[in-house]
Amino acid sequence: MTTKRKQPEKALQLYRDDKAYMQMLLDGLSLDESEEAEINKGVIKAVLDKYDEVLDCAENDKPFITSWFAYAAELFTAMGVPWFMFPQTAFLGIEAPHVTDDIDGAERLLGSDFCTVLRLSLYYVEADMSPTPSACIALLHPCDGTVMVHQAIKLGKWRDVPMFGADPPYWEDERSYEYYANEFRRMVDFVTEHTGYTLDIDRLREVCEESNKEYALWAEYNELRRVVPCPHDWTIGPPQCFAMATFYYPGKPGGAEWFKTLIANAEKRVKAGVSGVSGGEKIRMLWFDILPLMWQFDIQPWLESEWGVSIVMNMFGFTPYEPIDTKNEDTMFRGLSKRSLTEYPMIRQARGVADHFLTDIERIVKDYKIDCVVWPAHMGHKDGSANTGMMREKCRELGVPYLHLGVDIFDKRYTSVDEVKDMFSKFFSSTGLGQK
Amino acid sequence: METTVESKTLQQFQEATETIVNPELKKWIDQGGKVMGYFCSYGPEEVITAAGMLPIRMRATGSTSTELADAYLSSINCSFCRHCFNMGLQGDYDFIEGLVWLNNCDHVRRIYDNWKRKVNTPLTHMMSLPKMTTEVQVEWFHDELVNFKEALEKHLGITITDEKLREAIKLHNETRRLLRQLYELRKKDNPPITGAETLSVVVASTAMPKEKFNQMLKELLAELGDAEGITDYRARLMIVAGILDDPAFIKVIEEQGGLVVTDSMCYGTRIIWNEVDEGANDPLTALARYYIQDKPACPRMFDTQPQRSKFVKDMIKEFKVDGVIGERMIFCDLWTGENFMLGRDLKEEGIPFLKLDREYIMAGAGQLRTRAQAFLESMGR
Repeated sequence: MTTKRKQPEKALQLYRDDKAYMQMLLDGLSLDESEEAEINKGVIKAVLDKYDEVLDCAENDKPFITSWFAYAAELFTAMGVPWFMFPQTAFLGIEAPHVTDDIDGAERLLGSDFCTVLRLSLYYVEADMSPTPSACIALLHPCDGTVMVHQAIKLGKWRDVPMFGADPPYWEDERSYEYYANEFRRMVDFVTEHTGYTLDIDRLREVCEESNKEYALWAEYNELRRVVPCPHDWTIGPPQCFAMATFYYPGKPGGAEWFKTLIANAEKRVKAGVSGVSGGEKIRMLWFDILPLMWQFDIQPWLESEWGVSIVMNMFGFTPYEPIDTKNEDTMFRGLSKRSLTEYPMIRQARGVADHFLTDIERIVKDYKIDCVVWPAHMGHKDGSANTGMMREKCRELGVPYLHLGVDIFDKRYTSVDEVKDMFSKFFSSTGLGQK
Repeated sequence: METTVESKTLQQFQEATETIVNPELKKWIDQGGKVMGYFCSYGPEEVITAAGMLPIRMRATGSTSTELADAYLSSINCSFCRHCFNMGLQGDYDFIEGLVWLNNCDHVRRIYDNWKRKVNTPLTHMMSLPKMTTEVQVEWFHDELVNFKEALEKHLGITITDEKLREAIKLHNETRRLLRQLYELRKKDNPPITGAETLSVVVASTAMPKEKFNQMLKELLAELGDAEGITDYRARLMIVAGILDDPAFIKVIEEQGGLVVTDSMCYGTRIIWNEVDEGANDPLTALARYYIQDKPACPRMFDTQPQRSKFVKDMIKEFKVDGVIGERMIFCDLWTGENFMLGRDLKEEGIPFLKLDREYIMAGAGQLRTRAQAFLESMGR
């Protein structure tokens, strides 16, 4: 099946450039034979695989789709349909130096208080900086922004791209899981109609079994992060685990192997009592949301070196996942539906009632021996920020200090790095954590 | 700019809009009537009426501060929510028996989480509102209505019969019909009522017993029927907005000569333009179909943008609109997206369009005045 879709050359060149950039990083790491380097090499190879897949489709007129991590990518793996993350361009390393200009461009479309990741996604489509897929799976939760950005995209450059949205219920019960599972069945039909890829249930079983191994290994790794000191710093672990399990290798054999490498290294470090923080771990932090992706190198190393902060867990590294029951088609769809409604990060907390914000904080603080909780309050996470009082009260009840920052994870002009550092310094000083 | 008719009824509607507990609501409460609040135009008023309670739409009219709410919400939450929750915290809504929410937007749905923990309202209920509009979603919302009905029955110790539901549907349809008659008058070259005055009437319809409201609106319609009409305007405008419940906002625009003749608002055409099927076998199915498929959709309904845009364009033709103002509350992603899309659509049609941001409590009237003046001038008016 061919798509007969004209691809924006600017987008393809951008992705080729980023692939070359990632290859350069991989080549640089080849000189490093440490186990930690092997872990990072595994992730970069996964990124390169994804680029190869998407570029091959785009350059050779083969069908491919765009979707989100929250749509049970095991289905796409089982169907064999190539896909990339809808906001992918916003995460390209090669584009990072230009991101503030891009944000200014996005502001002309959707203003200044709409989630930056989402307005950038619209901007990149409008500016011909995103490949044009054969079909788009629109995410209709966990926030208002996702619903609106997909509708806006449908009016512009992707006017002719077929779009599907699965209607997310607000509840967590069997009625909701069944409803959403049926939405997934419609999604599979939609993908088949527009790409020609079909779903074989036996293949889905194999994929879910492989996926179950990944999630079990991820949970095993998290057990090791509970140890004091935490064996890995912020660069290794949670964000990588999330990326590998949910969109690079969902149900693919390479995923489980990577997790085993990660665990083996963490075990050695735990046995040796080695901290991930080079100067020693003094403060164990829960960063309860996404890390400040576009300026994390401005803040995370400083937190480590200045205060001995170990970000033991973040929202994306937490593993509340249940294995998918592979008994039959219904149990697999039910399991993928439940995972997509109640387990993936951000969706779990932000989609429905606010309870998971509180129960997750409690679980993580207790299990991971957390000293303080940071709610970064990304400017797009309005529903989460409406829970800040409840989260503060929960932390007070647990006896851990709570810090509400107020940042844009993409734009350090929103709250400057100096301001963020100042907030942290005052927080650690006033709570006594800085004296540890 | 104001109507040429001296109407005591209109004055009563305006007074009802300026307070939360208006005289008719107070009378209802004093007589032992129970009141249930709802937060969104998808709130199923008919079920509340069928339960013998008075449905009122939540507003924060008269609020002057958010200091209590600010301990729980944040500065990126919309000011409507912060003011409403603040009023809840300081006891201004202690008179209500219950409150029902839907997950209509990220801000309002979180008031539910905070309210149920911090305010002692006897009954709080949340409903899951779909984001698609097919038969599957009608069925889902039907079940949500059943759950809501059962929650009311359990709380009040009553049975809500189909007959009661049918009566309520008829009553609420009559309100919609009468309000549409009011809008019909605005199609005239010289409409007998302003946009600000009309907004008062619509807000009042969500704040007092429907029987009384309908009776009063019939009186007003009779008064306006033969009125001379407003002639001193520079342009006919349409407002597209979410929860604009403050007539003062429109009044500032109209003082510049832009007569607002129609709208697509949650306190406007989107709650009155269609009716619930009174002849359906199952009244809850009829209600589900109305709210999911028949009612002009909110931007959060994913697959409805073409219909939403068509609705606005049809209004422009029917009401001979010269320009459109798209209003949104700061931090509202739904209306940010909607105004972006509508702006593009209207540009293609050559229809002047102005985007305006606002806070819930009317502030910056001077700036609004300037923007409105500039808009009218840009239209050559």
